[in-house]
Formats: sequence, C-alpha cells, structure tokens
Amino acid sequence: MASRTASKDIITLKGSAAIVSEFFGYAANSILYNRGVYPEESFGKVKKYGLPMLLTQDKAVKTFLTNLTSQLSEWLEGGKLQRIVLVIMSKATGEVLERWNFNIITDGEVVEKGAVKEKSDKEIMREIQAIMRQVNSCISFLPCLDEPCIFDVLAYTDSDTTVPFTWMESDAKLIENPQMVKLHSFDTKIHKVDTLVSYKVDDLDEQ
Amino acid sequence: MQIKLNKEIDSRISAESSSASAKESVKELERAMQRSSENSEREKKALQKELSYMKDDSKLSISKLNAELERMSLRAQNSEKEAKMLNEQLEDLKKQLNECLREKNETELRLLDSAPLSVQRNPTDDQKLIKLLQEELRNYEKEVHEARRLKSSHTNVELLSEKLLEEQSRRKRAETELSKLQEIEAKAQKLELELASCTSLLGNIPDVSSYSNIADLQRQALTDLNKLGEVTSRLKELEVTLEFAEISKQRAEGEATLAKERAESASREVKRLELLLTAVSEERDRLRKDHNMLSNQKTRDGDDMSSKKMESDLSQMEKVVRELETTLHEQRELISQQHAELNLMNEKLSIEARKAKSLEREGDQLRSQVALLESKLGHGDYSASSTKVLRMVNTLAMDSEAKQTIEALQAELKKTKERLQAIEELKGQADAGTVVDANVAEKLAQLKNQVATLEKREERYKAVFLERISVFRKACCSLFGYQIVMNDEQQPNGIHVTRFTLQSVYAQTDDEKLEFLYESGSTNIVVNGYTSQHEIAQQVDIFIRKMNSIPAFTANLTMESFNKRSIC
Repeated sequence: MASRTASKDIITLKGSAAIVSEFFGYAANSILYNRGVYPEESFGKVKKYGLPMLLTQDKAVKTFLTNLTSQLSEWLEGGKLQRIVLVIMSKATGEVLERWNFNIITDGEVVEKGAVKEKSDKEIMREIQAIMRQVNSCISFLPCLDEPCIFDVLAYTDSDTTVPFTWMESDAKLIENPQMVKLHSFDTKIHKVDTLVSYKVDDLDEQ
Repeated sequence: MQIKLNKEIDSRISAESSSASAKESVKELERAMQRSSENSEREKKALQKELSYMKDDSKLSISKLNAELERMSLRAQNSEKEAKMLNEQLEDLKKQLNECLREKNETELRLLDSAPLSVQRNPTDDQKLIKLLQEELRNYEKEVHEARRLKSSHTNVELLSEKLLEEQSRRKRAETELSKLQEIEAKAQKLELELASCTSLLGNIPDVSSYSNIADLQRQALTDLNKLGEVTSRLKELEVTLEFAEISKQRAEGEATLAKERAESASREVKRLELLLTAVSEERDRLRKDHNMLSNQKTRDGDDMSSKKMESDLSQMEKVVRELETTLHEQRELISQQHAELNLMNEKLSIEARKAKSLEREGDQLRSQVALLESKLGHGDYSASSTKVLRMVNTLAMDSEAKQTIEALQAELKKTKERLQAIEELKGQADAGTVVDANVAEKLAQLKNQVATLEKREERYKAVFLERISVFRKACCSLFGYQIVMNDEQQPNGIHVTRFTLQSVYAQTDDEKLEFLYESGSTNIVVNGYTSQHEIAQQVDIFIRKMNSIPAFTANLTMESFNKRSIC
C-alpha cells in the first residue's frame, strides 16, 4: 500500500479504499457507542489513529460491519461509491432520528488509468484523528436519544452498479427539516471524504 | 487694641497647640513607620531564614539521596564482586566435584575388577579399604552440599543485584515523574488562570446561564467557523479572479496610454513635417519667383548657366517636397492606424471590465448554488438518474426479528412436545388400566345420557309434528276443499322456492290441479294444462291478475266444481 519517499508515501487505489472502509468501520463503532445504540459494556477498547477507540464485541454487529466494510471497499476500488450514510432510527416507530453522512469524491483518473498519488500516511491519520475527535465531541450538542434505537447503513452508488444478492434498493430515509452540522474532512488524494451529521430537531429545543 | 491682642494671643496659642499636635502626630506616624519597617525587615529576615533552611534541607536531602545512591552503588559493586568470587568458587567446586565423581567411578570400576581377586586378600584390608572409600564418599558428599549452598547463595546474590537494578530504575523513574509533576503543576496553574479568565469572559457574554447554552454556543461556533472558512475560501477565489481582472485591466490601460503617446508623437511629427512642408513650399515659391525674375533677366541679359542652375535647384526642391509629402502621407496613415489601435484597446478595456463584473456575478451565483447543494447534500437528496440507494438485506433488525420468531416457535414446539408427552403418559396409563380417571368417566356417562334423552325428545317431537301436520292438512282439505301438497324446489337461478299443488275435492279428474309457487312472501300461479283451459284461464285472469286475489279464485273454482258435481 505505501512505500517511503522523502516525506510522502505512495497511495494506490486499493490502499486508499482500504483506508476509507477501515475509517468507516471505526467511525460507525464510535457513533454507536457515543449515541448509546448498544450498551457500553458491549464495547472493548483498542488503539487506533493514536486514540483509544471503542469496538463492539457483539458478534452479530461485528459480522454485519465486517461484511459491510468489505463490500464498501470493493465499491471504492471500482469508483462506484458516492456516499455512505449511517442512519439511527427509533426501534418502536422506525422514525429516522439521525443521519451521519460520509460523502466520497473519487479521482476518476486514478480509477481509469490506475495512477498512484503521493501523500504522507501521518497526515492522513492526523486528519482522520481530527474527525474522530469531532465525532466524540458531537454528543455535547446532539439531542439525547431517550428511546431504544436501531441503526442501518445506506450506500449511495452509481446507477449502473450491480446489486449484490445480500443488498437491496432502499429509500433514502430522510429527516424532515433537519439540523445539520458539518465536520472535518480527510483526503487520501484518491478519495476525499466529507463528514456531516443531520439530526431531527428536539421538540424541547424548538420550544 | 487689647481685644485684638488677646485674639492674636489666642490664635497664636491655638496655632502652637495645633502645631504641637501635628508634630506629635508626625512623630507617632514616624514611630509607626519605623515599627512597620522593622516588622517588614523581621519578616524578610524570617523568610530568608526559612528559605535558607529550605535550601539547606533540600541540599541535605539531595546529599542524603546521593549518599544513599553511592551506598547502593557500592553495595551493588560489592555484591557483584562477591558474586564473581562465588561464581569462581562454584566453578572450582564443580570441577572438583566432577573430578571426584570421575575418581569415584574409577574406583568403583577398580573395585568391580578387583572383586574376584579380593577373595585372596586379607578381609581386614578390604574392610579398611571400604571404610576409606566410604569416608571419601562422605567427604565428597559434603563438598557437593557446600557447592550447592554456594550456588544458592550465588543465585540469591544475583536476585539481589537484579532487585537493586530495579530499585535504581524505579528511583530514576520517580525522579523523572517528579520533574514531570512540577511541569504539570505549572501547566495546571496556567490552565486555572485561563479558566478564570474564560469564566470572567463568559460572565461578560450576555445570555449565557447554563451548560446547555454553552453547548449551543459551541455548536453555533462550530457551524459559524465552518461557514466562515467556506466564505473566506470563496472570498479568496473571488479576490484572485478580481486581481486577474484588474491586472488585465491595468495592462490594457498601459497599452492604451502607450498607444496614445505614440499617436501624440506621430501627430507632433506630422505637424513638424507640415511646417517643414509649408517652409519648403514657401522656399519653392520664392525660388520660382527668383527663377522667373532671373529668366526675365536672362532674356534681358541672355545668361544660360545661371538659369540652368536655378532650374536644377528647383527640380531638387520639388523632389524634396514630394518626398516630404510622401512621408507626411505615411505619417498620417500611421496616425490613423494608431487611432484605430487606441479604439480597439478601449473596446478591450470595456470588455475586460464587463468580464470582471460578470465574474463577480457568477461568483455570487456559485456561492448560492454551493450553499444550496450543501444543504441538499446534508438533507440526503440525490439524483435518481445517476445514483441508487442500497442497504443490506439481512439487517440486524431482521435478524433479531427472525431470532425472535425462531425463539417463539421453539417455545411453542417445547410446549407442544410437553403436551404430547403428557398425553402419551395418560394414554399409557389408560392402556395399562392401573389408574382410571373417575371424573372423566362420569362426565362421559352424563354426556351420553344427555345425548340419548335429546335424541328421544327429537323423535317424539317429530312424531308429534307428523301427527299435528296430518291433522292440519286434513282440516285444511275439509275446510277449504283442496288437498295441498308442499314441495321445496330450487329454480335454475339457484333460488329456493316452495311449490304448492292444490287438488280440489270436487275435481273430476286427477289432472285438475292448481300449482302455486311461494317465494319470500309472494305466491304466483303456475300455468299448466288445467289452468290453460279457457274457463280456468278466464277466472285466473279476472281474480288473480285483475283483482289480485288467489283466495277468491280458489273459492270461485270450488263453487263451480261443487255446482258441476251437484248438477251432475
């Protein structure tokens, strides 16, 4: 994936896809922990991006996320993936409460011609670290999720993408009149990922 | 005069007293100052003493620590030396032990070899030899014990040295952590100061009363910072484009000024040439006049040479004039070209200015579009022609639902299995005949009795009904004069109807039958061979169709049949 030159590392399409899909896996775990979708005791601590990250130990969720990230990596290598959205919904009513939006801009030249780019691995890690810190700090302004919640992941792909048999078409699960907060972004020079969270305004806040 | 004197004296006295009091107060103040200065000096001295004590204490502690360190290092060195010595001793003892063991083996071998020969020797010598060998064995065993003890002590020494090294490393770590602690304390103090300043600032900010407000402010600050960043980036882009436009504008203006200067210089050149031309033309005119005069003089004097000279000079002048005219013409053309260039440059300037304005407008439009797109992106909108939204089929919710249904089904299965087992047990118990459920048998008997009574009742009701209905039929026949037969039918359209066949008691043949169909409250006559006869049909028409009365028809028919019978 990366070999050392003076201060920059060579980034290939496959390597960049792996970085982005891995980032999404860790980000999804952080969001599930911080928003209380699963109990705290079901998470274990690991070190990643220079930070203590929390990963779920629930087997079902683990396998779900593993299968998901492997498919996302495949789509990223093909330049087919436009956006990933992690949706948090009420378990009782199915109402969408939060949408964590990861917008992806792919360098078409790299996908078509197989070119490589140069960027320091450390800088990419620093950018990802900043996003993870922001995700952790979002709980200071996001409304409390008092009811049991479930999550789902939507992938916005090109219209000519073949749908794998474990996937199906879905609606976009939008929020009416959401509040939006834009977070930091990171760039591997092949894939640029912008992060944004939109959430349903709390009735108390509206009052 | 005396009063004034007295007054003056009084005033003087009062002044003197006030001055004395002031002096006293000054003295008191001076004393107080001296006391305070003395106090401050004493405090200073005390503080200095304390400082010196603290310094001495710290020096003492440092020296103590150094001394302990030296002691520990010396101990470590000594223990290392001892360990080395013990190692050497151990090695020597090991060598000795090996030698002894080797000798022991040799002696044992010798003993074994010399066993057949020992029969010839004196038994007392053998005993002595055995005793000697036993003593040697004991000595060797003692040496082995000592060697093992030394080895254990050596290992203890090694352990001690390791512990010493660990303690030294711990001490170093403690020292580094102490230094870090001091740094951290300094940082904490700085942070406390910053926190105090922040709280004071927060107190100055209006409408900040609770942590939730601060969270809102943070969130707003984040969004505002992001917006600010975006706006600054766009501003920078616009500034860059504006700079480019201005640079091109300046270039165009410079070129326009250059062209103007060239035009001015060309016009000056033209004027100069025109002046030259006028001068030359005047010169030519003058020369012509002279030539004419000379020619006139020539005719008078007849001098050819001077007139030729004049003519040649004239021709030269004319050439010069023509050349000047051509250069003037060229210069005029140059000027016109430069005027045209100037106009072009001015047009270019105006175009560049228009471009700059259009760029600014485009920048504003792009900014608004970017804001719109970002809001759409955040909302989650997408174009269905280029994008499709996918999700995994076996989501966790579905898995959990499937699990729940599976669990529910498993629970039901367990219950049914338990019931089945209970039933099988009961069956087995029933087959064996060992236990009879008395309640069940009683209930069965009761139910059977009830069934029998109900069946009997039903039969009785049927019999009673048959009796009554036959009586009723007979009564109807005798009272109204018709035998009525009732049958249920189903018409082709599926509707159930009841057919009543009436035969008069006065009928002369069996074919004289009236048929009526009864359906949901309405009775209709059925046309048959008997009713289609002329007389009967007339009566049907009059009584049933016109008067809508079947009883009148049947009564009339009965009367006619009776009359016919009685006549006959």
